[in-house]
Amino acid sequence: MAEIVKGAPTGPARRRALPPDWRQYVVYVGFVVIFVVFAVTLRDTGFLDPNNLLNIVRQTTMIAVMAVAMTFVLSAGEIDLSVGAVAGLASVTTAMAIAAGGPVVGVLAGLATGLLVGLINGGLTTRIGMPSFLVTLATLGIARGTAMWISQTAAIPVLSRGFNFTFGSGNLGPVPVLLVWMAVFAVAGHILLRRTGFGRKVLASGGGEVAARYSGVDTAGIKLRVLLLSSLAAAVAGMLYAGRLHSGRFQLGEGDELSVIAAAVLGGTSLFGGVGTVIGTIVGALMIGLINNGLILLGLDFSQQLIARGVIIILAVAIGRQK
Amino acid sequence: MTAAAPASDAVRMRGISKSFGGVQALRGVDLTVRPGSVHALLGENGAGKSTILKILCGVQPPDCGAVAIFGERMSEFTPEAARRLGVAMIFQEMSLIPTLTVAQNIFLTREPRTGRFLDDRAARAQARALLAQLGVDIDPATPVSRLSTGQKQMTEIAKAVSQNARVLIMDEPTSALSTAEVDHLFAFVDRIRRGGMAVLYVSHKMDEIRRIADTVTVLRDGTHVLTRPIADITLEQIIEAIVGRRINAFAHRARVVDRSGPPLLELRGLSGQDKPREVSLQLHRGEILGIAGLLGAGRSELARAILGIDPPVSGSILLHGRRVPCGVPRAAIGAGIALIPEDRRTQGLILEQSVFANLTLPTIDRLSRRGFVDDARASAQAQDLIARLRIKVASPSLAVKTLSGGNQQKVVLAKWLAADPDVLVLDEPTAGVDIGSKGEIVELVRAAADSGKGVIVMSSELAELLSLSDRILVMSGGRVVRAIDRIEIDEWSPPDTDPVDRISLAERGLQHAIQESQRDG
Repeated sequence: MAEIVKGAPTGPARRRALPPDWRQYVVYVGFVVIFVVFAVTLRDTGFLDPNNLLNIVRQTTMIAVMAVAMTFVLSAGEIDLSVGAVAGLASVTTAMAIAAGGPVVGVLAGLATGLLVGLINGGLTTRIGMPSFLVTLATLGIARGTAMWISQTAAIPVLSRGFNFTFGSGNLGPVPVLLVWMAVFAVAGHILLRRTGFGRKVLASGGGEVAARYSGVDTAGIKLRVLLLSSLAAAVAGMLYAGRLHSGRFQLGEGDELSVIAAAVLGGTSLFGGVGTVIGTIVGALMIGLINNGLILLGLDFSQQLIARGVIIILAVAIGRQK
Repeated sequence: MTAAAPASDAVRMRGISKSFGGVQALRGVDLTVRPGSVHALLGENGAGKSTILKILCGVQPPDCGAVAIFGERMSEFTPEAARRLGVAMIFQEMSLIPTLTVAQNIFLTREPRTGRFLDDRAARAQARALLAQLGVDIDPATPVSRLSTGQKQMTEIAKAVSQNARVLIMDEPTSALSTAEVDHLFAFVDRIRRGGMAVLYVSHKMDEIRRIADTVTVLRDGTHVLTRPIADITLEQIIEAIVGRRINAFAHRARVVDRSGPPLLELRGLSGQDKPREVSLQLHRGEILGIAGLLGAGRSELARAILGIDPPVSGSILLHGRRVPCGVPRAAIGAGIALIPEDRRTQGLILEQSVFANLTLPTIDRLSRRGFVDDARASAQAQDLIARLRIKVASPSLAVKTLSGGNQQKVVLAKWLAADPDVLVLDEPTAGVDIGSKGEIVELVRAAADSGKGVIVMSSELAELLSLSDRILVMSGGRVVRAIDRIEIDEWSPPDTDPVDRISLAERGLQHAIQESQRDG
């Protein structure tokens, strides 16, 4: 994905100049290797069953949706730790608003939740100059606490069939709606980062903030927008959780921030800004989903899964960084 | 090895070729350095200077060719082998350990001992004798961290001498030295030359070459262009050999500036937090305005205030007679002001990203339709700029950090020329740039002014200011304290004098004016 990262031009020059740096492709190789290993070792457990594979997609979509936005945040040199908590809060506000005013109001309430947290994250980061790490660590707690408080720690059922179908439970023929959501975010994110002026400015802001400012890029505005984008994507992920489980719960999305950041970094996005690839992120997210699924089918209990997942992620990133 | 090289040559390199990947860095280069001489090695970045130095100090083997040091053939190319033969390189980034004393550094790993124990007193005594013999006034018990840059350099040379160095390589040794330290170093180099040392000296600074070197060798594109005694060659001939064509960047070219119309850019009492202080000036179409001043006079601060990177606290900026919102870089850029900033590595460029991405960043909105970047147009713009400014890069998709300093600076200039601004503000436009690129950048700035743009140049290089400017303002303590017109400069340096003398006369005049205004301010 070098052409995304470095914003290379089209035309003959690109083919001439790109050295095949295999490290950029480690996530794709890793994905295939892990897939093949599971396909061989787990052939008796139905790993390759189309239903199981679609299940992996269903379980991964929320992470993927948030990770696409996280790619922008990291590329701009910031971080957003609040995404999981925002997803949980949005699932609760959406469920409550659907109960009060129907699905449309519910969706608007969910998006408004994301918008509000995003403005707080972005505003505090860019206007006051707090590091986004601290701001979003704080809003993580605030969002999770608010979700617990307004739901009184209870699950809030979502009874709208239309909402549940659109946001997570439905199938279009053999294709789960969640797969469509993932595809839409992947394509839109890829185009936004790779083909638009906004995407270039995001990479410039993270790659060299001072030079970007001297070049007339409104780096504060860009950072505000990526943090807003991240919270909105988290709100969408929260609605997808609510639609899939037919309820809003404060616990939804707990710990997702780590999977989301891991997906982006596995995919080749730099934690330090300036380098990002949406396609890599999607593959990174699918890889994490694949690992989770395979470890369950292997019969590992939850504690072992956590350990194995951590080890695999360290290995993947370490191989990618080795000189 | 066919015949033994005559022992009278300190360095004898014959038919040296070296390529990296597909790039031929050196093609059959010959180089002979005699003992007791200072031999200047000149060339643009990429001409092959550093490759030949690396071969000589054993860092890289040549593909073919032979190297002999005082008649002894270099059979293996390792740094240890080169050192054994007496080749020592003085590094720009000092290879001394700051926490140890001068004596400890000189004898590091070869310390004098009494029995099994280190004898620091003997080391100090030996170091003192060595330094005295070299005529260097440094107490060997001083920790290196307390030495000035010049003293560190001499310590490093003393260390090399104590290791029986017979060939000394100095690469841009004066880049971090003050004028007084340079004088000191040159006196020192002169002494060790008399002692029979062969010195290979690399520098971009022509005045230094004239002062210190006996012989010059010029490389261009990996080939040997000429070797001649310094007395037999003029500055112009040297520059022409380096660049491969005539360059008249260093003489001032008279330009006609029409100051009758309304000014293009006007600053009224512009003040920043600390600097600048109440700066008012007018810039006309086609005019090049130089800003001189000592370090800390507020030149860069003025540049940043004009663009709004550091928001001004009072005053106003008028472009075409209309106020430009102060303190908003985007607004200033949108109105038609561009800044080539002081530090290209952090302010001018995003080093990790491609030449293409850097060239299109300021104009990305203009290259987009409904938010989408028009790749064909962006690519055409980048290719056009690369061709027009003769930026040396294999492909626009290479990271800009892989380019030489001169080419990086051309990328900064190019990205702003693409934006077609009305006013170009350049802060130290040729700092750290080789002489060929320097000339090209000066020509580009002149061409921009000739096409009707207004140009403001901040520079600490007086020769550059003098050759470019139609008018020079002198700053001190954030204020403009003096304006110097071309007529006054011509009084310092009458047009009928020798061109080289003219440049130094004008420089002396400007130097004097700056120091004088410092005293008044």
